[in-house]
Amino acid sequence: MNAAAEGPRANSLVEGLRPRRRGALRLVLRRLGRQPVTLAALAVLVALLVVGALAHEIAPEGWDWINLSDGGRNLSPTFAGGNLLGTDNIGRSVLVITIWGLHFSEQVAVAGALLAVAIGIAVGAVAGYYGGLLDAVLMRFVDFVIGFPLLVVMYVALAFLTPVTLWKATLVFALSLWTFVARVVRARVASLRAEAFVDGARAAGASDLRILVRHLLPNTAGAVVVSLTSVIGQIAIVEATVEFFGFGIVSAITPTLGNLIAAGASTGIGAYNFPAAGWWVWGGPAIVLVLLLVCLNVVGDGLDAALDPRRR
Amino acid sequence: MLAFVVRRAVLGVIVLWALSIASFYALFSRERLQVYSPLRGHSLLPLYWTWLKGVFTGRTFDLIFTPAASQLNPSARTTFVDSIGHTAVLLSVTLVLVLLFAVGLALVAASRRGSGADIGVRGISYLAWAVPPFLLALLVQKLLYTFGGDHGVGPFPIAGWPGSCPIGLGLDAGSLQNCPAAGSGLTYVGNLFRYITLPAATLALGFIGLHGRYLRSALLETLQAPFVRTAEAKGLPQRWVVLRHALRASLPTFLSAVLSDFGAIFGAAMAVDFMFGLNGLGTVLVSDFPGPNSDSGFVDTNSVQTVIVIAGAVVLLASFLAELSVVWLDPRMREAE
Repeated sequence: MNAAAEGPRANSLVEGLRPRRRGALRLVLRRLGRQPVTLAALAVLVALLVVGALAHEIAPEGWDWINLSDGGRNLSPTFAGGNLLGTDNIGRSVLVITIWGLHFSEQVAVAGALLAVAIGIAVGAVAGYYGGLLDAVLMRFVDFVIGFPLLVVMYVALAFLTPVTLWKATLVFALSLWTFVARVVRARVASLRAEAFVDGARAAGASDLRILVRHLLPNTAGAVVVSLTSVIGQIAIVEATVEFFGFGIVSAITPTLGNLIAAGASTGIGAYNFPAAGWWVWGGPAIVLVLLLVCLNVVGDGLDAALDPRRR
Repeated sequence: MLAFVVRRAVLGVIVLWALSIASFYALFSRERLQVYSPLRGHSLLPLYWTWLKGVFTGRTFDLIFTPAASQLNPSARTTFVDSIGHTAVLLSVTLVLVLLFAVGLALVAASRRGSGADIGVRGISYLAWAVPPFLLALLVQKLLYTFGGDHGVGPFPIAGWPGSCPIGLGLDAGSLQNCPAAGSGLTYVGNLFRYITLPAATLALGFIGLHGRYLRSALLETLQAPFVRTAEAKGLPQRWVVLRHALRASLPTFLSAVLSDFGAIFGAAMAVDFMFGLNGLGTVLVSDFPGPNSDSGFVDTNSVQTVIVIAGAVVLLASFLAELSVVWLDPRMREAE
């Protein structure tokens, strides 16, 4: 009897769902297409990420290849020809070390963010779906972790983990930044839990797990993608900051954008009878870092606007 | 209202207590960090008890924090209490700058939507938010050094706090040399403003960009609201509509967003503080860890532990004020109470 009453509605839901979801994706893409600035930022972002990912192919000589001849050290950038971004005071090409720094920073940021997203989805989904005391306690904890200065956490965590490897750093970032994703996912899941299609799925005999995975989580995809860009950006900033102060991976072993800026900007390298490095030695990695962050922010905001249901 | 405050206070104390135990365990249980520490070999529980007692008797904050080179110049020695004060001044000035400029820029941008000023403000705010504070501090110092040498440009010194100046820049900072005297009374306040302006502006810039942008979109949304159209229809001047109606309605969200973000401002202040040699909590944090840049002979785990708990207290206080500001500024919330 219930089936008869709900039958037409359920049918129209099932029939309406698939095309509508595809339509939603197309709508988002069409909206993104109308944002030239976001598209440009996305192009630059993809280009940066590809260059960083392909460091092995683009700069096969590695980051510690040096040219100690007098003609090879501390060359100012020409922005053209072979000596694009100049060399540092021990004759390393700034372009090459920057690409490698980008490679490792990107590795930490992307891997850390993906791991954070995975943890955040799991915790957020459970908290939002089951609610109650568990939800209240988890979300209080999440609020506190989000509010707590990440930089302070990182100083402490990374200083204890010395010697810090890339994967240790990645893990520390993921274990503190999942909170941002969890908050977003939890809010979406909690608001969708009361919708009719969840009742429908439950009436059809779906388990909690199936409802979560098949019905609720796909609906959080947009919000998760936006929070992914934000988490990548946050890792990039904080990683650069702790690297800059020398708590993370040391640049002689593994270059990252942060420790390259520190190495170029301090007189550390110059202590061994080398002249102080020129501005371009820290300027190169600094510009790449800022460019990466600007693009991430613009793309994140653009996606957010395109996904905003209020503007539909 | 009172119940709300009491509940928050009790919860805050519990959270801080848990935080202090967790961080104490993490900090003091690691053999590596105790290698140079006078605390090596002591068991944890009595040490924690000493620390906790010190929080209430004040002894925990009596510790003398000595960046290596301040041993050269005892008159310029900074105590932990001084460091707390330096950070508090930096944070207050920054907060004022963020509130003033974010509101100002958002008003300009929102009231002339699509104009050159709007696009310029938005572009610059994206850029400002994307430059990490440590990098901006580095840039400011390099520029000051290029144009003014060791002494900075005009009234703005390159680094340091009234009465104590570091030699060198940024990562090479940490040494104190004889400086112009700090002065007293009004002279001291004047000097303080000379020394604090650039660090506070450096710290504030990114957050002005971020929150200015948020407030701008909030204002644009409010300007579409029916009550704004009513105000316009009444014939009120546009300036009055924007200031008294649109801004007033967006203010609670804005203020609570800035306050909720205070933890991030605190974190960034650590970096800026160290770069500008302000001898605040950031200097304690960075120079007291056994990183390559550490110049102290032993690890002052006690100071670091105290900084962590202070950070926790600041975060809790800020989030409490954020909730309070919504209740205070939003009449609907007041009635709901």
